[in-house]
Amino acid sequence: MANRVIMPKQGLQMTEGTIIKWFIEEGSEVKEGTPLFEMETDKLTIQIDAPASGKLLKIVRQEDETVPITELIAIIGEEGEDFSNLLNKNEHQSAPEQTDVPKVAKDENQKIFEVVTNSKRIFISPRAKMIAQQNGVDFSKVLGTGQQGYIIEKDIKNYIEYSAKGTPLAKKLASMNDVEINQLQGSGSRNKIVKEDILKYVAEKNRGTTDSEGVIIPFAGMRKIISERMVESLHTAAQATHHIKVDMSEASSLKASFKKADKRVSYNDIIAFSVCRSLIDYPIMNSELTEQGILLKDYVNLGIAVAVENGLIVPVIKDAELMTIEEIGIMTRELATKAKNGQLKPDEYKGGSFTISNLGMFGLDAFTAIINRPESGILAVGKIEKASVVIHDEIVIRPMMVLTLTYDHRVVDGAPAAQFLAAVKKYLEQPYLLL
Amino acid sequence: MIKKERLIWIYTKMNEIRKFEEKAWKLFEENKLRGSVHLYIGEEAIAATVCSLLTDADYITSTHRGHGHGIAKSGDIKSAMAELMGKETGFCKGRGGSMHIADLEKGNLGANAIVGGGIPIAVGGALAAQLKGTDQVSVSFFGDGASNQGTFHESLNLASVWKLPAIFICENNQFAISVPVAQSTSVKDISVRSKGYDMPGYTVDGNDVLAINEAMEKAIKRAKKGGGPTLIECKTYRWKGHWTGDPEIYRSREEVAEWIEKCPIKRLRKHMIDEKIASAKELDAIEAKAQADVDEATQFALNSPEPDTAKVMDDVFFEELGGAV
Amino acid sequence: MSKKTYAMAIRDCIAEEMRKDSNIFIMGEDIAEQGGIFSCTRGLLEEFGPELVRNTPISENSFVGAGIGAACAGLRPIVELMYMDFVYVAMDQLLNQAAKIRYMFGGKAKVPLVIRGQQGIGRGNAGQHSQSVEALFMHIPGLKVALPSTPADAAGLLRTAIRDDNPVMFFEHKALYATKGEVPDDEDFAIPFGQANVIKQGTDATIVATLYYVDKALKAAEILEKEGISCEVIDPRTIVPLDIDTIIGSVEKTGRLIIVHEAHKTGGVGAEIASQVTENAFMYLDAPPQRLGAKQCTLPFNLGLENAVIPQIEDIVKAVKKTTYK
Repeated sequence: MANRVIMPKQGLQMTEGTIIKWFIEEGSEVKEGTPLFEMETDKLTIQIDAPASGKLLKIVRQEDETVPITELIAIIGEEGEDFSNLLNKNEHQSAPEQTDVPKVAKDENQKIFEVVTNSKRIFISPRAKMIAQQNGVDFSKVLGTGQQGYIIEKDIKNYIEYSAKGTPLAKKLASMNDVEINQLQGSGSRNKIVKEDILKYVAEKNRGTTDSEGVIIPFAGMRKIISERMVESLHTAAQATHHIKVDMSEASSLKASFKKADKRVSYNDIIAFSVCRSLIDYPIMNSELTEQGILLKDYVNLGIAVAVENGLIVPVIKDAELMTIEEIGIMTRELATKAKNGQLKPDEYKGGSFTISNLGMFGLDAFTAIINRPESGILAVGKIEKASVVIHDEIVIRPMMVLTLTYDHRVVDGAPAAQFLAAVKKYLEQPYLLL
Repeated sequence: MIKKERLIWIYTKMNEIRKFEEKAWKLFEENKLRGSVHLYIGEEAIAATVCSLLTDADYITSTHRGHGHGIAKSGDIKSAMAELMGKETGFCKGRGGSMHIADLEKGNLGANAIVGGGIPIAVGGALAAQLKGTDQVSVSFFGDGASNQGTFHESLNLASVWKLPAIFICENNQFAISVPVAQSTSVKDISVRSKGYDMPGYTVDGNDVLAINEAMEKAIKRAKKGGGPTLIECKTYRWKGHWTGDPEIYRSREEVAEWIEKCPIKRLRKHMIDEKIASAKELDAIEAKAQADVDEATQFALNSPEPDTAKVMDDVFFEELGGAV
Repeated sequence: MSKKTYAMAIRDCIAEEMRKDSNIFIMGEDIAEQGGIFSCTRGLLEEFGPELVRNTPISENSFVGAGIGAACAGLRPIVELMYMDFVYVAMDQLLNQAAKIRYMFGGKAKVPLVIRGQQGIGRGNAGQHSQSVEALFMHIPGLKVALPSTPADAAGLLRTAIRDDNPVMFFEHKALYATKGEVPDDEDFAIPFGQANVIKQGTDATIVATLYYVDKALKAAEILEKEGISCEVIDPRTIVPLDIDTIIGSVEKTGRLIIVHEAHKTGGVGAEIASQVTENAFMYLDAPPQRLGAKQCTLPFNLGLENAVIPQIEDIVKAVKKTTYK
């Protein structure tokens, strides 16, 4: 009888995991209780043991794939067994019942309602039950805030509002544009309605009609703040840019070496590390123009720009110059997740000394970033793409990437800025120099 | 002196009451009556004589031992029997039973199962009469036991102070269930209590129609003249137990036999024959008719329908807003 | 509209009705020359004379009974009990006679009687002069029961009581006699029985209150409003008949019910209302109904002790919050 190997839920709030490494190759023998694969969540990296002995008949999900919990990732069984039926049953099981009650986040806007009970009796007020039934809510999934976990009206209403419908921004857009949010399908995770759904809906609705001018989206909050800061930055600093092309083959090898050594490191981490080193070499790029003068900082608080639903935020890795590449990686991922969940504390996005912004994932060759005041420079990273280059008079194919440095010309002149950028390139192309 | 017509009326009523009560007793023994009945047998003279002097406009209140008063006042034996059987055709549509016979159209403000409960109500009738300026009188029948209840004293005082046309008839049948009057009452003749309330009080032989009549006529005259209330104590005896099924351990068979000898009906019959007011034949005919009427009433009651249970909640309240304007 | 005290409103209503219907008369202790110890019959003796405005001896059972008899005989008596605490003396006449006559006599009798009097705390009158007894008369069928909390309600409900052909227990409150309010001048202004008054609308909790506690409930609602809890305050005005539909409708909206009255909590009117709502609107409830009433203790003379026995405004606030799990 073939065994399903699923992505197991490990953390209380885990919803998905990324397979880092399969320890056993497809077709090899596997022993129950021995390590089968390693996976990672935003909180942890963990080894999972094989749930049964036999042959690893099929690896269904590969390394680097992110899999929702309880989904099928592999099959263990007897040689030649037919496991096709198990493959078909793969999709979207509902989350398994848990016996422990998860913590509820304090932030009103971000309550996480996870499955609460197994065979334990659910205590729910008659009114709450009525409202749940009227709205098709499975109240076994709702956390009660009445005494001893009694589910009351407010809990059901909150559940309906925050976990089934739209993000706060989507709701805002909906109300600004007269959209009945309840009638939309959400495209976000867990069918949440996101901003794009609203925009799409409105566009569809308005198509062909003559009486609308378009969609109004709010210009407030983060958007407004970003707008003010961008304008202020451009008005204050004298911003100029340098471009450089970087051959990322060595960086790629470096990444692979790390992987072989079971260490997870991304290109961003390598770039960040290189930037930190370069900033130490060229502290003028890690400076701030103050009333007293140009302050050359003796620490690198590296900001990594993150796009979030409402706009953009730059969480800061403090003292990045003291960290290893891996540590930079861990911090980056942690901060990015927090940023996306709106959980960054002020001291996590303030006090940066230099910022990196990467839009390569959108296919941009290169772009110009605006300096994140009061810093003196920002590095914009484009995509890594195989291109033909001439080396030793021969055309070879290399993974190329364009870096664009925007620098504050009040503080830094073109030459030093260029030197800094060249240093970054140097470290990326000759990583052994980082040692 | 009582005119023949009225005497005949009295005799008729007494017989009706007697036959009615005897029938009630029998029906009870045959298990055709629910609850209990408190029989007036032996006391008929009082109800009949008193009511013979009243019109339909005059008021009475009665007691748990109220069949006699009910029949004497309203004359409707059929409705009385039907009420005893709890039928829809009874006085109270089966809701009241033996102890609550009432007929407001004929001035019977109701029999009361609370000892002394009807006395203040009768005072109310007298009060209404006074306010309306009519010459109605209001009579309260009650027993020796009730004369010790607070309401008796309060009512006498109230009626006296306001000079109401009320007449208080105390039917002293010597016992309050098992307790002899001597054991419970501070006076031998209850009528003396009238002095405490500044009104005339008479003690009469409750089995003597003429004696009752004399006192009653005085009382009515006084009342109608605006003189106020009167207390008339009628000494009498009930032949049967307090209620059907009473083992009567509190008195001897001899005593009962003695009083049966003093039967008020026999007495009046003798008087009417002796005084040549009526012949034996006439009187026999009255008796027979009374029996026939009672038999007819019994049949009527037996054939009458039970009340509709769907209507059980009717008449808790009077539904339309009555009153002024 | 005229601004009147609660006592004046009662007095004027009696006078207006007596002018229209000579069958109405009023009796009670000290009601004639004295005009009643709470002034509810002031001036009536002068206008209507001693036949129709009678002082009674101190014999509640018999003068209530006399009222019953007179009512059966076609008049429309109003009997004043000086303190509703004295109603116990007349219980037989009220509960065995007045309440039952119509039914027991097969619907052939009418008892158009009004028994009115004041109850409750407010004058340090101690245990036998401070009670709230309305629950007893809700329990035994046959009597209607009204409890006005304002001068206008007093006038409107009393008119209905007088015109009703049934016996009515009309409970006034000693602490409300001096309160002032606008009363319609219309001499036919009548508030039907069985019509609750939704004094304040709200969305989060329903507070039902009677007599002296109506005002306290409104004050509690004000406090709660500041904390973001919107209360609907309902005065049933009559408990027999009881407008349970309005209360249930409110609970369907709010999901939370709090009943507060001055009478003892155990076996009080609140218990009946809470049960009826639970039976009929269970699935609308977000929390069990809360009842507030006096503790099971004879009302003490000392003010501090008295306040420890009867519900306070903060108790109402707490009870509402309890239903919101705050």
